[in-house]
Amino acid sequence: MDIRLLDTGSAPGDVNMGVDEAILRAVADGRSPPTLRFYRWSPPCVTIGYFQSMEAEVDLEACRAAGVGAVRRLTGGGAVFHDAEVTYSVVVPEGGPLSPPDILESYRRVCAGLLEGLAALGVEAAFSPINDIAVGGKKVSGNAQTRKSGCLLQHGTVLLAVDPERMFSLLKVPSEKLKGKLIEGAKARVTSLGAILGREVGYEETVRALAAGFARAWQRSPSLPEGIALAPGALSERESEEARGLAAGRFSDPAWNMRR
Amino acid sequence: MRYELDVKVSGGKLIRVRIDADGGRASRVAVDGDFFAHPEELFEEAEAELSGIGLAELGEEARRAFSRPGLVIFGAGAEDIAGALEGAVRGH
Repeated sequence: MDIRLLDTGSAPGDVNMGVDEAILRAVADGRSPPTLRFYRWSPPCVTIGYFQSMEAEVDLEACRAAGVGAVRRLTGGGAVFHDAEVTYSVVVPEGGPLSPPDILESYRRVCAGLLEGLAALGVEAAFSPINDIAVGGKKVSGNAQTRKSGCLLQHGTVLLAVDPERMFSLLKVPSEKLKGKLIEGAKARVTSLGAILGREVGYEETVRALAAGFARAWQRSPSLPEGIALAPGALSERESEEARGLAAGRFSDPAWNMRR
Repeated sequence: MRYELDVKVSGGKLIRVRIDADGGRASRVAVDGDFFAHPEELFEEAEAELSGIGLAELGEEARRAFSRPGLVIFGAGAEDIAGALEGAVRGH
């Protein structure tokens, strides 16, 4: 089985979420092959999980003042501040080797590629149920998955650098008094490739390592007897057009973003 | 009257319930959180069915509604949601 490999570079949050949904629709319709995509965010953006309340989780005024976007994802999970990171998405038909019915197992299988890629960068990471990857007990990657139209969409982050003060200036906190504790908690629980390796780690370098890691992990996994090869490609015209429509429509629409 | 409660599921995710009630019945129930569920629409159907239910029956109704065939909830479960709603009504 071949998986299309995309690097769509930087885009605003509404476009990034539009592209993931456009790929999901195209794979579900059989118009595009299963896809592994890498991307990043410009401007930085807070995304919230499908079941979260934007009003409860995000300080929209602070986001506006800082020029940071705010978008609801198609997937569940928690609020994420996307800035210095590599983001990936995987879209594959359900029932295939990467998307067994057991949700935890499918997280494990998709994340095996991230672990292999991180190892190539010199980072010994481990899958941390239910949906994280950790190094020495500290989270370096969060992942979120949904299943729609017969396909699995999993997207997630690998942190290149982390700034808890900035993150909590954009998220709602119960009180100013608690903010300090939350920031200290995040510093204790969250890390980044930069912090682990003690140097600046770039987007391109990380994407190269992760793509190779996905290819290696998926080729040799005993649970993937067919073997999977990555084939560099591009979005189809129709996917690009649908992504633009979704960015200007659903993912910029208060009826979607503020629905909870 | 509004009842609210946040519950962290052991080994799982956060559930934030809000119940707007009028005359002992729920007029609107929101089950938010950082859990996962699909199909999302089925979860929202279950949530919507709790409107109009008496507060005393809310937990039992939620157990049934969120256990419907085809709905997969990950990081929390129907029992956790029911427990959070019952806790909110009890005031803790």
